[in-house]
Amino acid sequence: MAIITTQNLSKIYNPDTIPVHALRDVSLEFEEGEFTTVRGPSGSGKTTLLNMIGGLDIPNEGFVEIDGTRITGMKDRELINFRLNNIGFVFQAYNLIPVFTAYENVSFIMLLQKREKSEMKERAEELLTAMGLSKKFDSRPKQLSGGEQQRVAVARALASRPKFILADEPTANLDTDSAMNLLDMMEKMNKEENVTFIFSTHDQRVIDRARRVITMVDGAIDKDERKSPPSKGESELSEQGDDSLS
Amino acid sequence: MYLKLAWRNIWRNKRRTLITVSSIMFAVVFALFLESLEKGAHDVMIENMTRFHTGYIQVQDYRFEDEPSLDNAFYYDDSFSVRVRDFELVEYTIPRIETFMLAAGAEVTRGAFVMGIDVDREDQLNNLKDRLTEGKFFEPGDGTAVISEGLASRLNLAVGDSLVLLGQGRFGMTASGLYEISGLLRHPTREMNNQLVYLSLPDAQWLLSADDHITALLVTPSRSRNIEPVAEQLRTDFKDEELAVFTWREMIPELVEALEFDRAQSRLMMGILYVVIGFGIFGTILTMTLERMREFGILLSVGMQRIKLAFVVFIETFFITILGVLAGFVLGLFPILYFHFNPIVLGGNMEELVAEWGIEPVMPTALSPEIFIWQGMMVFILTTIICFYPTIKILTLKILDASKA
Repeated sequence: MAIITTQNLSKIYNPDTIPVHALRDVSLEFEEGEFTTVRGPSGSGKTTLLNMIGGLDIPNEGFVEIDGTRITGMKDRELINFRLNNIGFVFQAYNLIPVFTAYENVSFIMLLQKREKSEMKERAEELLTAMGLSKKFDSRPKQLSGGEQQRVAVARALASRPKFILADEPTANLDTDSAMNLLDMMEKMNKEENVTFIFSTHDQRVIDRARRVITMVDGAIDKDERKSPPSKGESELSEQGDDSLS
Repeated sequence: MYLKLAWRNIWRNKRRTLITVSSIMFAVVFALFLESLEKGAHDVMIENMTRFHTGYIQVQDYRFEDEPSLDNAFYYDDSFSVRVRDFELVEYTIPRIETFMLAAGAEVTRGAFVMGIDVDREDQLNNLKDRLTEGKFFEPGDGTAVISEGLASRLNLAVGDSLVLLGQGRFGMTASGLYEISGLLRHPTREMNNQLVYLSLPDAQWLLSADDHITALLVTPSRSRNIEPVAEQLRTDFKDEELAVFTWREMIPELVEALEFDRAQSRLMMGILYVVIGFGIFGTILTMTLERMREFGILLSVGMQRIKLAFVVFIETFFITILGVLAGFVLGLFPILYFHFNPIVLGGNMEELVAEWGIEPVMPTALSPEIFIWQGMMVFILTTIICFYPTIKILTLKILDASKA
């Protein structure tokens, strides 16, 4: 069963002046455990799609359902709670809380979820260690490299045990080593813990690692391709066409 | 962790925080000093008037207010004094008989205000004995007088000289007496310093043919806040007698009006000051809020409820305010303490002006906890109101727009 369904999503910015069609009739389904990238040129609607799925933006038409719950039309308060418990975000600019240490950044999400202190501690340590940051618990963001900050951001996104993680250009600010390292970590999480990842990216390194690649052009789905078999480094894509939904 | 987040956010931009704390601190210092100076000046006026003129509460014959004549003195003995003193919240009582007479030395005659007093009890109210600059106070019935320095100078008299008092006693009796001057005192108000003659209560009663009568019984409550309750008790108790009870506010309404007027002006000044302070703090909060829109957007997108985020920002502002207010209290205490013990002495026109009111030409600062509490509260309320801005911003924030900020 799909954990994410988007049905006929459309988004038009400035409908009364100069309309910009950011999304045109986008219908997609994402299964649990997918490692998907959404690619396309700037302005193709990648980020808008991720924002819709994350409940950060509202479509003009269509809807988004997550695990059977329609988030389109939810009240602000409910939506924030829903995001907290179901969706993890990784941003291009890391967006960590600058005054918190790496450990506190990861714990903070669990604090918002009102988790037990012991559980918070255990989970935060486990995630940061898994991200190769066991010696950086007490470092603040400015004491970390870009790659390390992004790994903290991934740990933070995973801390809430979300149904999936939306990562908007996660490697855009990273050098090759850091980007590859980060992708290794995320792929590991995907394989070992069956965490669903959806990326928006221009980065070929990410596209190469993905097992499903959705290409967008002018706000519409141009291609939806799946790799077979789903293994690291395999770049052969099995084209399934625009409307192929798994 | 919310407190930790708020506390660390404050120190994230140390310079901005220090500027805000300093602006609040100086605002508090300035407001405290102004308020303290105003209250100090008012306290001097009230103290002068109550301690040396009216007392806090007076019991009089009910006709005395309309016709302040010795004919409207009332019977007074020890049992009456005990009766009043036994009232709850009454600390002590002071009997006085007062009238205007002519005072004469060897060559000069002047109008004088003659007061028959019990020195020891009077001293409780106004430390009268400390005002003595030369000689000594009289014993009851010893036929001596203490006069103020100004009057002594006008009459060209000194300690040991004779003073003649001439006037009208109770029920039209002629009143005249010859007294040796046993001492001189300096009255704090110029008007009284130029005309005051103190006699012992028995001597004054004998001179004025008013045995066992006084014109006023001053009643001092245990605390100033008990003035009204004590006056009310006395009024209830005396309702069947020909006695009236007045508080100092009723006896000197012109002073009350003057103080109210002065207070209104000060409130206006304070209002302007608070507007200036308010805009200063608002500017900082505004900058801080706009600088952090992206951060707010991120926190909301990862699942922090708006109300919690607003709470954290409120806590930050609260911390900054508390720091500013406390620093203001500490810094403000120094000038307040200094000018409390070394009051500003008025000179020139101001001295003339206050002397006309019969008030000491000094302006001490008042050391009253309520000033600190009030000013602290005002700045705190101001900051809380200003804090509505980031709160509203957060509550109406569009996450996507903020994340792009």
